[in-house]
Amino acid sequence: MTALPLPARSPFKRLGLLHVAVILTLATIPFLLVFAISFGHKVEGAAWVWSLEFSNYKRFFVGSDYPDTVSFLYLKYLWYSVWYALVAAVLAVATAFPFVWQMIRLSRRAQTLWLVFFLCSLTFSEVFIVMGWDILMSNRSGLPMLFRETGITDWLKANGGLDLLREWGLATPRNVRFKPSQFATILTLTYLVWPYAVILLYPPISKIEREVIEAARTMGAGPLTVMRTVVTPMVRTPLIGAVLLLFVFLLGAYVTIAVFADPSSHTLSISVYEAVRGATLNAPFGAAQAVILLLTAAGVLVIGQRFMSAKSGGR
Amino acid sequence: MSDLVLENLRKQFGSFVAVDGADLTFENGKLTALLGPSGCGKTTLLRMIAGLESPSRGKIMLNGQDIAPLTAEQRKFGMVFQSFALFPHLNVARNVSYSLRIAGVDAKTRRARAQELLELVQLGDKGRNRIGELSGGQRQRVAIARALAQNPEIFLLDEPMSALDAKLRNDMQMELRLLQQQLGITTIVVTHDQREAMTMADRIVVMSQGRIEQVGTPQEIYHRPANPFVASFIGNANLLQGRTIKNGVRVDQTELIVKGQGELVPGAEVTVFCRHEAVRLSTDSLGENCVPGLVTFVRDEGVAREIHLETPVGRITAEIPGSFHETVRIGDRLIAELSPDTLHLLPVAEGVAA
Repeated sequence: MTALPLPARSPFKRLGLLHVAVILTLATIPFLLVFAISFGHKVEGAAWVWSLEFSNYKRFFVGSDYPDTVSFLYLKYLWYSVWYALVAAVLAVATAFPFVWQMIRLSRRAQTLWLVFFLCSLTFSEVFIVMGWDILMSNRSGLPMLFRETGITDWLKANGGLDLLREWGLATPRNVRFKPSQFATILTLTYLVWPYAVILLYPPISKIEREVIEAARTMGAGPLTVMRTVVTPMVRTPLIGAVLLLFVFLLGAYVTIAVFADPSSHTLSISVYEAVRGATLNAPFGAAQAVILLLTAAGVLVIGQRFMSAKSGGR
Repeated sequence: MSDLVLENLRKQFGSFVAVDGADLTFENGKLTALLGPSGCGKTTLLRMIAGLESPSRGKIMLNGQDIAPLTAEQRKFGMVFQSFALFPHLNVARNVSYSLRIAGVDAKTRRARAQELLELVQLGDKGRNRIGELSGGQRQRVAIARALAQNPEIFLLDEPMSALDAKLRNDMQMELRLLQQQLGITTIVVTHDQREAMTMADRIVVMSQGRIEQVGTPQEIYHRPANPFVASFIGNANLLQGRTIKNGVRVDQTELIVKGQGELVPGAEVTVFCRHEAVRLSTDSLGENCVPGLVTFVRDEGVAREIHLETPVGRITAEIPGSFHETVRIGDRLIAELSPDTLHLLPVAEGVAA
């Protein structure tokens, strides 16, 4: 009797190994291809050939004409990728946190309805969301129009608000202007991942026992002190985790950047697309940029991991 | 410091009345147990005292001031919760000194106070441990030390023993009692365990369905229950329905003499109360109030033996000391003696299962 399950299990075991092998192959082959191509050679006026040269990486960090001239154009793109993604991820988590904190006090039914609503909102694609914000921000039909028609623009002009907005790149001499701007870019990116932030934070925050909060209150902690000294430290790991996840997700954002960011502050994802499919057609260089973007994401995750484990270590 | 006085305190959740017109005085430095079955309003009452629920009506007076409008964080009464509610992100010492940290006390004083309290609860060497490394009993001690750190005027405990196993519970009851006597702090413990209340409390408040049924010392509550609910909730007792006569009570055709009840008005419906262990069993009828009976059930509990008798006045349960030599068998005919000074008359139960 006891010997029976063993021969029965071994085909499944083999199947399991096969399963793992298929997954590994499917997951690593595209990456290995991109990695290999990044060392390829672009033939002027034609496609590219396999090679082992570092010119693509050199071009990324210091420009192709180094040491005659130095260019940090692609490092700047990388910087903008990291900057937009990090700010938007932090903003999304920072604003979703108090929202979820209020949400868990609602009735079970209301909480479920909110969660279903956010899950549904995930079905909107980036293109769809960007289209909505594009209309909202556009100079002819969106908020700037509303500002002008309602007299807010004139009011801003009268008390110097418009000059301040111009300094921030959010206005022309005639009216406010949100497109292109970093403000609109980050706002849309934040909006894009906000439902994810809520869904990521809901489980850990809803698990905090009511009695723990009440215990803090009976020891003299007001609502803000409770938030600062009990709730936030208890969910610190999920908070950092959510920021990291959303950050990695946003590193690859394309449509939002293409529509809202000024070309001078575009990101690597735009540049990669240009190289692979767009005007410049330089697959090896596109691959090199993609590899660097991936390594950056990995680097940030490692730093984040260290940060989390250091914070939650023995004290 | 003065007593804590509740005046006509009431709490309503929608149409449900959780606590109905509670008038109580918690004496300074004494340990009071709020005792009752689940859902009787004892926890709601405690939470109102802590400031975690606001009363629908009534006053909570402390030092001549109504503290009902104050929030929990303004009252700062230490409270130990059923789940202990320790902070998992802080180590033991930091849990204990939490109230001092948020009050802005300097680190050195905080550490010293935490150490002092941890030694008081016999956890002097555990200050650096994480909460996850402690056993249930140790967690409870941390919760107690933490609640005491701020020197609260009132110390509140909500079912503090219910998460502990039976042996540990016994030890902790003793320990908590000793600690409370040592500190002389006004303490209120919520419990549904009558044994726990009897062991620890100076005074017991028995509650049922949002109302206070009786307030008294453990001995008063045990031997002189105010009504059939208290009589049946605390300990085991025979409750017989009868009608008063001049010097006692008539149950069916049997007259029982009752002493120490003052003047009796004949003809009133009453419940006769007699503790199981107060019933004496013999083979010959000697003293007063002897009722013959037939043994229908015997249960040996080691230290004691429970015997059920069918008698003319109804079923009587007796609890006699366990004995290796004497045996009682089902079908034996015995005499139950209900001594007049152990009988106590109660008003007739109103919808309470006796």
